[in-house]
Order: sequence, then C-alpha cells, then structure tokens
Amino acid sequence: MTTERAGAAPAASATLTVDHLSHWFIDQQTGTTVHALDDINLQIQPGEFVTVVGPSGCGKTTLLKILAGFIKPSQGEARVGDKAITKPGPDRGVVFQELAILPWRNVYRNIAHGLEIQKVPKAERDQRVGELIELVGLAGFENHHPHQLSGGMRQRVAVARTWAANPEIILMDEPFAAVDAMTRQTLQEELNRISVETGKTVFFITHSVEEAVFLGDRVIAMTARPGRVKEAVVVPIPRSERTWLSMSNEPAMAQCVDEVLGLVKGEHEATMVADGTAEEV
Amino acid sequence: MSNVANAVDPSAFSGALLAEHKRGERNKKVYGILRAFLPFVGLIILWWGIHAYFDPAPTKLVAPGTVVDAFFESTREGVLPAYIVQSLQRLGFGVLIGILVGIPTGWLLGLDKDIAKAAEPTLRFFNAVSGIAWLPLMISWFGFTERTISSVIIYTMIFPVVFNTMVGVRTVSPVLRDAMRSMGASWPRIIKDVYVPGSFPSVMTGLRLGVGFGWRALIAGEFVVGGGGLGFYIFDARTAGVIERVMLGMIVLGVLWLLMDRLILRPVEEYTATKWGMVRQ
Repeated sequence: MTTERAGAAPAASATLTVDHLSHWFIDQQTGTTVHALDDINLQIQPGEFVTVVGPSGCGKTTLLKILAGFIKPSQGEARVGDKAITKPGPDRGVVFQELAILPWRNVYRNIAHGLEIQKVPKAERDQRVGELIELVGLAGFENHHPHQLSGGMRQRVAVARTWAANPEIILMDEPFAAVDAMTRQTLQEELNRISVETGKTVFFITHSVEEAVFLGDRVIAMTARPGRVKEAVVVPIPRSERTWLSMSNEPAMAQCVDEVLGLVKGEHEATMVADGTAEEV
Repeated sequence: MSNVANAVDPSAFSGALLAEHKRGERNKKVYGILRAFLPFVGLIILWWGIHAYFDPAPTKLVAPGTVVDAFFESTREGVLPAYIVQSLQRLGFGVLIGILVGIPTGWLLGLDKDIAKAAEPTLRFFNAVSGIAWLPLMISWFGFTERTISSVIIYTMIFPVVFNTMVGVRTVSPVLRDAMRSMGASWPRIIKDVYVPGSFPSVMTGLRLGVGFGWRALIAGEFVVGGGGLGFYIFDARTAGVIERVMLGMIVLGVLWLLMDRLILRPVEEYTATKWGMVRQ
C-alpha cells in the first residue's frame, strides 16, 4: 500500500472527508427502517485527533464502520484524500471496543500481524514491533498470550498492533470502555503521547465527555438518532502538554467539558423522552 | 533484628525453598496419579470379592488373576497383539477418512449459512440413525468385509466432527475477522490466521467425540463382521465359552482408549487451546 513504511512512522498526509453522508438500515428485530445518520459533513486534517460523543444509538459506531469500510453508506461518501472509501484497507487502522487481538498469538506476534500481512521484512518488522512494545509499556510481555494479560494490557496490544501497521488514519471505537477507571486514565495518557509522537490522524468514539475533551483537538457532539453533527468544540490546549494531573487543574478543560456536556445532555434527554426515535431539531 | 536477617544466607534460604517447592510439585504429581488409579484398584478388589463370595461358574465370571493369566497367554500366542494392531489400523483408517471428509464439510456448513440450513435437518436425521443400525444394510451391500467395518466407523464419527467443526467456525468472533480486514488481510489469510486456529478447539472436541464413537462402532462391526480385531476376539471367546478372554478384551478396549486419549488427544488440546486460554482447566 505505502512505500514509506521504513523506520519511524511518517505523519499522516491525507485528509479524511465525510461528504453529505446519510445511512439507513432495517432493524432485524422490528423490521422497521432506522435512520441512523443524517447528512454528516466532516473534514479531519492530517494529524488531527477528533473525538466524537453522542447519546447511545446516535450512529457513532455506524459512522466509524462506514469510515472503516465495513458498511457502505446509503447516501453520500467518505474519502481519504480524494479516494472514496468502499472497503476496509490498511490505510485505515481500527481499534475495537471488544477484544480483537488473536488469543492464539502471543503479544509480539499480535503486534507484528499487520506488518506480516504487508510482507514487511523480518528485521524491519522486529524493529517496529520492538519500538511499539516499548512505547506502550509491554516490554517483557512479548511471549505472553492475551489470556495472561489484564484488560488494559490487551487493549495496549490492540493499540500497538494498529500503530505498527502504520495506517494513515486510526479509527477507535470506545477502546477503553471495558477497562477500570484508573487504568483508563493511564491508557488515555499513553494514547495521547503516542498520537502526538507519531502524528497520526485519529478518529475516536466515546461516550465519556471527559475522555473526549482530554484526547481531542476537536470534540464533535452528535445529535440523537438520526445522528447529525450538532457542534464541534475546539480544545484550546496543546495535546503535547496534556496529562490528567495538568488537565484537572486547567480551567479551559473544565470549560470545554461543560460546553460538550451541555450539548450532549440535551440529546440524552431527548433520547430518554422519545425512546430513541426522537426527531431532533 | 538486622543481625538476625544477616545471619541467614539468602541463597541457601531460596535454595531450600526451591527444593521444597520441587518436592511439593512431585508430591502433587504422585497424588494426581494415585487419585486417578485408586478407583480402579477399588473396582478390582470389589470384583475379586464378588468372585470369592459367590464363587460363580467359570463360564459366568472369573477372578482378576485368571484374566491376568489370559493376558499373558494371549500375548504369548500373539493373538492379542495382532488383534490390537488390526483394530487400531481399522480405527486409524476410519479416522483419517472421517477427518478428510468431516472437517471440510463442517467448514462449508460453518461458513455458508444457506448450505447449513439446507443440510442440517438431513444431517440430524442420519445422525440419529446410528452407524450400528446400518450394519445389516452394509453387510448386504459389501458383505462381511473390511469395507463394511470402515463404513460403519466413518459414518459414526463423521457427525460429531461435522457438527463441532461447523460450530467452531461459526463462533469465531466477527470482530477478529473485521480486525484482519482492516489490516488488509486477504480471505485466504483470514481463514488461515483467524478461522483455522479459532475453530480448532471445537474441531478437537468433535474429533475426540468422533474417535470415541468410532471406537465403539468398530467393536460392533467386528462382532458382526469378524475377521480379526478386538471385537472379534471378544465375540469369538464368548462362542468358545472362555470368559476370561471376553473380560480381557473388554479391559483392553478401555485401557487402549485411555492411552489414546492421554497420549494423543489431550496433549494436542493442551498444546493449543489451553495455551491460548480457550479451555479452562
């Protein structure tokens, strides 16, 4: 796919564009048509970290799956650079909420998997994987199998695997939702550091407003179903300076959290009242 | 306080601990073996007691010692070893064909829902008609031949293999597949890296069941068809009224199965599924 995989990962270079994208699907249980996404327009710059928050069922995950190429949108399109997304590809890495690393591969071989698929020579593969193992703090666990690791460590493996494969854009679907609160903060700080160091474009879905503000250059709030982009909030703190210690005393952080919370709260109540079928303004 | 601590040579201390640990491990092993064998010892004593108390005719029940004598006698004659080899060869051939047919069929059903839906009722129907029930029909087709015996074994073992393989392939998490696709893996690659290892524990369960069923079907086949083998040994001994050989044959059946399970099936399972954390011990 790319010819520039040698050495340290190059920073992302392509813009991710979502262009008048709408999506409907048929609910298998009720047989009714669900309007999941409505006229989404987004532009994510190379190297930008964009987080998306919204009430459950607002279509965040659907949007991510469309960007990953797992599902085709009903209308409109998403593009990497000027190439429309039609199927999954190694230019877009995905970190899933569920355990998506292979139980039968040890830590090293899981992280190396993407590089193996890309037929990267062994010496180079070893070097890349070694760097990432160091970067996510898994040194010494190379030969462990996933079942021997904690939930947080497993997600570190998943993150490292995605980064190792060196995609242009990384899509993350609530990757830290299943780990405990303390571990989550550590993982968030590590993700922040890795994304700053590698300069990758990241599209990150979450239902935690704090997480969205802590990680994002920009936080996108979505409306209840059908999902629309309600508003984007820019977080005016350089990502390289963010740690939980500094951020918890940062008035700008509190302000952003309040703002996003205000946007999301209204949507959450709308969902409660109309039981997920609300036609939001 | 510190003097006391200094007085202890730490290396000698850890050496003693290690020795104690090793001794503990050895004791655990000895205990495990004892635990597995003790019930057999109890059964033999019970058998001996019943024989001594009721003193039955030698055509009804013989003492354990008589069976041991029969074992040495049959081994010296060479009948027993030859028949064991013959039965194992028959089983081996049946298992080989069962694997070659059963696993691909299971894979096909696991990957294609439509084919599975079309085939399942038929498979369940034939699964219910046991292989032994086919014996009369098979004898009328193939006569008292090896082919009849092989057919019964293959028929009997194929259903558990097919069903368990199908289930194994079906239950591979779709997230693992999606993760591979997003890393740019081709379908053959996904099959090799995800579906083959992911379905393996279930395939092994199917094989274990299948070989066990096949082992029983083999004996039934040898009862009816004859021409050597352990089933023939037992049946022939009954016709001649040599009850110690009947009992010896039965014991050999059980012992051989335990050996096959311990020496082949279990180690494979331990090396794969247990190592991957897919089987809890």
